[in-house]
Amino acid sequence: MVSADGRSVVVFNGEIYNYPQIRAELEGDGVRFRTTSDTEALLHLYERDGAEMVHRLRGMFAFAIWDEKQRRLFLARDPYGIKPLYTANDGWTFRFASQVKALLAGGNISRDPEPAGLVGFHLFGSVPEPFSLYREIRSLPAGHTQWIDGTGPKEPRPYSNVAAALAEGTATPVPKDDLCERVRAGVLDSVRAHLLADVEVGIFLSAGVDSGALLGLMRDAGQKDIRAITLVFSEFQGTLEDEAPLAARVCEYYGARHIVRSVSEKEFRDDLPAILEAMDQPSIDGVNSWFVSKAAKEAGLKVAISGLGGDELLGGYPSFLDLPRWRHWFGPLAAVPGLGLAARKVIGGVAPGLSRERPKLLGVLEHSGTWAGTYLLRRGLFLPNELSTVMDAEIVREGLRRLKPLPRLAASLVPDPGSDAARVCVLESTQYMRNQLLRDADWVGMAHSLEIRVPLVDFVLLRTLAPVISALGAGSGKAALAKAPVKALPNDVVNRAKTGFNVPTGNWISAAVGGSEPRVRPSAAKGLISRRWSRAVLKGMVPAKAAQQVQAA
Amino acid sequence: MKSSPAMLALVTDAFGGRGGIAQYNRDFLGALAETRALSSITVLPRLAPDPPVLQPTIEQAPARRGRLAYSLGAVQRALAQSVDFVFCGHIFMAPLAALIARLKAAKLIIQTHGIEAWPRPSRMQREAVESADLLLCVSRYTRASVLSWAAIAPERVMVLPNTFKETFTPTNGLRPQTSPANGKKHTLLTVARMDPSQQYKGQDRVISALPFVFSHGYDVEYIVVGEGDDRRRLELLAREVGVSEHVHFLGGVDLKVLRDVYRKADLFVMPSTGEGFGIAFLEAMVSGVPTLGLSVAGTIDALADGELGTIVPEAELPAAIVRLLATPKPDPLALATATRARFGRPQFAAGVRAVLNRLIEAS
Repeated sequence: MVSADGRSVVVFNGEIYNYPQIRAELEGDGVRFRTTSDTEALLHLYERDGAEMVHRLRGMFAFAIWDEKQRRLFLARDPYGIKPLYTANDGWTFRFASQVKALLAGGNISRDPEPAGLVGFHLFGSVPEPFSLYREIRSLPAGHTQWIDGTGPKEPRPYSNVAAALAEGTATPVPKDDLCERVRAGVLDSVRAHLLADVEVGIFLSAGVDSGALLGLMRDAGQKDIRAITLVFSEFQGTLEDEAPLAARVCEYYGARHIVRSVSEKEFRDDLPAILEAMDQPSIDGVNSWFVSKAAKEAGLKVAISGLGGDELLGGYPSFLDLPRWRHWFGPLAAVPGLGLAARKVIGGVAPGLSRERPKLLGVLEHSGTWAGTYLLRRGLFLPNELSTVMDAEIVREGLRRLKPLPRLAASLVPDPGSDAARVCVLESTQYMRNQLLRDADWVGMAHSLEIRVPLVDFVLLRTLAPVISALGAGSGKAALAKAPVKALPNDVVNRAKTGFNVPTGNWISAAVGGSEPRVRPSAAKGLISRRWSRAVLKGMVPAKAAQQVQAA
Repeated sequence: MKSSPAMLALVTDAFGGRGGIAQYNRDFLGALAETRALSSITVLPRLAPDPPVLQPTIEQAPARRGRLAYSLGAVQRALAQSVDFVFCGHIFMAPLAALIARLKAAKLIIQTHGIEAWPRPSRMQREAVESADLLLCVSRYTRASVLSWAAIAPERVMVLPNTFKETFTPTNGLRPQTSPANGKKHTLLTVARMDPSQQYKGQDRVISALPFVFSHGYDVEYIVVGEGDDRRRLELLAREVGVSEHVHFLGGVDLKVLRDVYRKADLFVMPSTGEGFGIAFLEAMVSGVPTLGLSVAGTIDALADGELGTIVPEAELPAAIVRLLATPKPDPLALATATRARFGRPQFAAGVRAVLNRLIEAS
């Protein structure tokens, strides 16, 4: 969109949820709008506030504004990194796009591999920003802006940071009793903001607390007619993992229309080429989001609410318990120089079976000395010392040197969020959620012409809840969320073991990538299948040069 | 930082030096001095065979060839004076420059040219490069090569292409030479060093292509300008393929002769595989001569992705020579103007100002 005077041009991907307020404010300043689009608000806001405009925006966004008068380009990306933005600079030409694929399709971009991207994928199961699989293509980091002028791109500058928001909250604690009210008010406000749309807004509904509470809050926010989509798998029928019966009850409870979509292994196999084709950067996840988005598209929905982010914000993952425990139990031992390495070598030597089944167990004494190391241990697909078993040693060395995984994780914890719960919240939000969940939600959504909205990934909400996040006990965050709707979620939903949107991918993937699993305990098999799945995903996605250096699984 | 920063420049050679790197350093430091944004530029060369001609605000210390003497002298000099920016003209000197920049809490700017920066350097050099505030490359290829081994923010690595001497123009005021009439001899030209350790310039490829050119009915002479001990190998090759009477080695020539040699050429061809940039291409084009190079490394930049000259894969070289000889020669004045517009001194000076602004912003 071009401004009326031709001075600015904007390209925008996303949604600005506080657009009505911004518009009213700008009109109060005498600005005349020509359209009803939030895109136009960006132009006027830029002309008024310049780069500072980003502080006024609530939503998911990646945009570029060309300033004709100053002959320079301004890029910005939302603080959580919901919307992607990739750039490429060869020294003469600067390019940008919402997907790595789009940049490659535009041509004239080197496909030389980025070792940090490859190594990062093997460590985390997704490519950690700002890297991609290609050296020349980088992501503008979440919460950053960037200027590009005749002299080329300047270094991206941060304007917002999850750790800082939490540190601020921890420093201004509120009474514990405030938890429920803060969660209720904060999430309702976020849901209300996320319902701003010209089209019907549906919801992905599992049998868990996050999506159930969001559905209740959608009602509270005034949406009358709501369609909710739940996936069912024949493999799960009659088991605890079958989400359909409980989801159906929640739908009935809140008066929503329930769409139950059945997915079979055959459909997974049929869709697999399309899934890999749509995947912008390799990810070991995304299959579940693929099918629920597909179902939404079939239902004619263009916009859907997702409970993504609830576990990161309200302490829903086991990591909120595990990380502090591991730090407490093993941290002091891990601080002894050389002990971790020695223990790994000794145990690996005397119990090779253990190292095959539970490869990460051997890393405990090596990595639990720091929050960054403990997180890598908890979330890591492979550990750094294992990488040379799947990749060329030179790529591993160079990739680790460029990626600096531990310092990078540690940097995400600056300033110190001030409590264990807040630290895990930062790590999960800025690593797993940002690089994997949100990125997957974007490409699967785009592949189905569906806009996925995530009210639990909202910076205004984060700031509201930051003072109580530090004091979250086990389950208290989710309990508060369950009570947030005027009609609180039924108890059996709250009490049910959290399974989320699960798909029987373990078996399907195992069958799809071929071969048989080694005889290991089921809990260990999941991790090993993820590793093999990562190899299958990577095949065909990596640059040709690197493919030769990444050994077959 | 105070309003007028001072720069210390560590270079192999600059003022009073010979060769491409000395020329680049003179161009760069000269353009920097012309911005008048620096209070002083102190140049520390290792070589200066000719008497230096300096601009105001540039001071050049006597050359110190020995590595140790040079390093000690540079540190001593840095400690004794105010230094806000350290310019390092060659990657081999990067560790010393990085040390001085750290000692003086100064901004470090490192210049890379071509093949010296392509392979992974020593660890010390790599770490020095990674500590730089700004890294300048003469071409996109050199930039991509540096980024393949250096873990440095890509925004800190800028391309500043070479420029050329004002001496080169298409005419001496008379009508520029047009294509030779039918049957007349065509002149192919290469201007390049003939260093046995750097046999990548491609004179051998042109010599090997000559029989193909003759077989297509073109009478050509191949003029080879440049000094170096590889000439013997090339002479032998010319004899082997039976074209020695058509190949003329002129050796090193002075600027005036070189200007005339360019003007008389029908096609400048330098199928080099190792150009950091290839200033000779610019000299030829600004003299109005069409150019042919390989689609490899810095040549692609010098020929502006094929907009100013022709770039081909190596296998297509002989056919490309024939094709270009068959094509009417482009208007020399138009070619010179287009080359100037892209790589002229005003463009170079603007690039240097941009570099300076980046450094000041980073301060």
